[in-house]
Amino acid sequence: MNDMRIVERNVDATDVKISARKVQVYYGTSHAIKDVDVDIKDKTVTAFIGPSGCGKSTFLRCLNRMNDTISTCRVEGDIKIDGEDIYDRRVDPVQLRAKVGMVFQKPNPFPKSIYDNVAYGPRIHGLAQNKADLDVIVEKSLRRAALWNEAKDRLQSPGTGLSGGQQQRLCIARAVATEPEVLLMDEPCSALDPIATAQVEELIDELRSQFSVVIVTHSMQQAARVSQRTAFFHLGHLVEYGETGTIFTTPQDPRTESYITGRIG
Amino acid sequence: MTDATISPAAARRHSSLLQQDDRTRRRNAAESRFKAYGMVAIGIGLLALVILLTSIIGNGRGAFFQTYIALQINLPKEVLDKNGKGLPEDLAKVTTIGYAKLMTGALEETMAGKGIVIEGLDTKDATEIISKEAPAQLRNYVLANPQLIGTTITYDVLANGRIDGYQKGRVTYESAVLDSNVSPEQLKLADALRKDGLLVSRFNMNFLSFPDASEQRPEAAGLGVAILGSAYMMLVVLLLSLPIGVAASIYLEEFAPQNRWTDLIEVNISNLAAVPSIVFGILGLAIFINFAGLPRSAPIVGGLVLTLMTLPTIIIATRANLKAVPQSIRDAALGVGASKMQSIFHHVLPLAAPGIMTGAIIGLARALGETAPLLLIGMVAFVRDFPDAPPNGLFDPASALPVQVYQWTQRADPAFVERASGAIIVLLVFLLIMNAVAIVVRRRFERRW
Repeated sequence: MNDMRIVERNVDATDVKISARKVQVYYGTSHAIKDVDVDIKDKTVTAFIGPSGCGKSTFLRCLNRMNDTISTCRVEGDIKIDGEDIYDRRVDPVQLRAKVGMVFQKPNPFPKSIYDNVAYGPRIHGLAQNKADLDVIVEKSLRRAALWNEAKDRLQSPGTGLSGGQQQRLCIARAVATEPEVLLMDEPCSALDPIATAQVEELIDELRSQFSVVIVTHSMQQAARVSQRTAFFHLGHLVEYGETGTIFTTPQDPRTESYITGRIG
Repeated sequence: MTDATISPAAARRHSSLLQQDDRTRRRNAAESRFKAYGMVAIGIGLLALVILLTSIIGNGRGAFFQTYIALQINLPKEVLDKNGKGLPEDLAKVTTIGYAKLMTGALEETMAGKGIVIEGLDTKDATEIISKEAPAQLRNYVLANPQLIGTTITYDVLANGRIDGYQKGRVTYESAVLDSNVSPEQLKLADALRKDGLLVSRFNMNFLSFPDASEQRPEAAGLGVAILGSAYMMLVVLLLSLPIGVAASIYLEEFAPQNRWTDLIEVNISNLAAVPSIVFGILGLAIFINFAGLPRSAPIVGGLVLTLMTLPTIIIATRANLKAVPQSIRDAALGVGASKMQSIFHHVLPLAAPGIMTGAIIGLARALGETAPLLLIGMVAFVRDFPDAPPNGLFDPASALPVQVYQWTQRADPAFVERASGAIIVLLVFLLIMNAVAIVVRRRFERRW
């Protein structure tokens, strides 16, 4: 664990963006998330770490109600974004997901052109008045995703023709194109090589200036590198949550310590 | 790890790689045997296909060629246009009998002109080598071209089915002796005409455009009404089953909750796909004809029945193709804030479309070849009038290709065997074209992700 450089960063925002209280998630009869309380701050990268099957992805998918697509899944408790309960009856998940973007584990560009991939979100949300507006949004999003230089000459070629790392950055560009307030990333680098991972991590750090980013990762090094706050999940419980530096150097819970030092997980 | 003394493992470890041991040999032998079985199976299948195709093409090829007698026919004005004004109603007063007389005269003249004399063949017998349908064809031709009246035209007169059979080798002098419909003398006349180049075989476009003809006139029978009827039915099937099937599949696959009702519906759809087609015919008879009062023999009823039959196939194919679209694409669309319907119509459906089209075309091809349900709704009727253009024509009586095959195989005259095989060839060509289109659609539009 020598490469675990923990950078002291200023956590410049203190407002709570997402607050979850007593969240329970059930898949049929199995109880996947138990009593999770967490406050996710604005303009901060929050990492969820933990062994496989501990529920970190499940919890992440609760934050933009992607779990609604799983018919057996049931969510209880309160999850509030800017003080509004996202599981309120009046909330349309479609509107919520425009506000809370998501990047998935496996790069999943649409089998369309690079341009159409990025332009899809703005188009369906009516963010662009005309083609020129859309061009601007596409360029801006691709620049934010650090893909513009590689993609600008082949915007009309299919997004699926890009390399894995480029595809994932395309998915990030697609997610940021709708101007979300929160960006959820479910193990965004697990299918990428170290160089692409480094690029994506750098990107995450830059995105922090505009969004609140929540990232699920298997790699503790990655959590240490990119996040300001870290939550450790174990068997459906949120074991420990705090400043990344604190979690990695002086964990309070013995389970966290075991996981970080490689004894469990 | 206390099993270090187990010997077989140790023995194998020292064997040479260059020598196959017994076990490997046995496994390899089993594999070659299996491959041999596979090749034999494919061989049997191919053989069956070759036999089928050769027999059908061998029998049916003749249907695409027809024998004609080239005659110089005089069209006297005083016979065909008694008032001399050229009015259509005057011209129509001359019946086919009048034209038959002109033909007989022309044949006699030709025989006299060429010096053809056949012993034991009177004029009536000689005239019988001309098809009974020929005067009607000449009449239609003249009515369509009234300016020909008063001139002498060279007209290819349709020969009788037996003479056509003689030309194609189906009828011989030996068989003619036993045949009450043709005499050896008539064949001699045919020989004489052929020698003078007056008996000609031409490609038979009429086989595809003419309506069916009666038992006595196989030479004039064509598939026109049947092809049109089949086309109308396919139109109905396509227009109804594709939208209904796709809509049902999308709902069941993407929107429907998983509960006992949807399970029940699913099981029923799978069962419907396996229901014998004749059952759909009975259903169609009961619902569309007896209850709804739609006309018998009409392509609309046939199309509706075939739609019922095709729907399960299309639903199953569509659902399979929707299922094959990876969840990650749906997630991606939902993740950027698309509604469920947007994610389906913008992403899932376009990706599934080639497969859906393929399923639909194959379902359609199955419907095109379906006979049994059509028999029950009266499409076996003898129809000589072409249906109108759609949509009115959908309610006119029509035939269908497979039913026409069935009908012709029922008839006594061997010339109809040839016609039936010819109709099968036409049907197979249509099916082949549809399947080729299905393959092209799949190859051309399939997108990978």
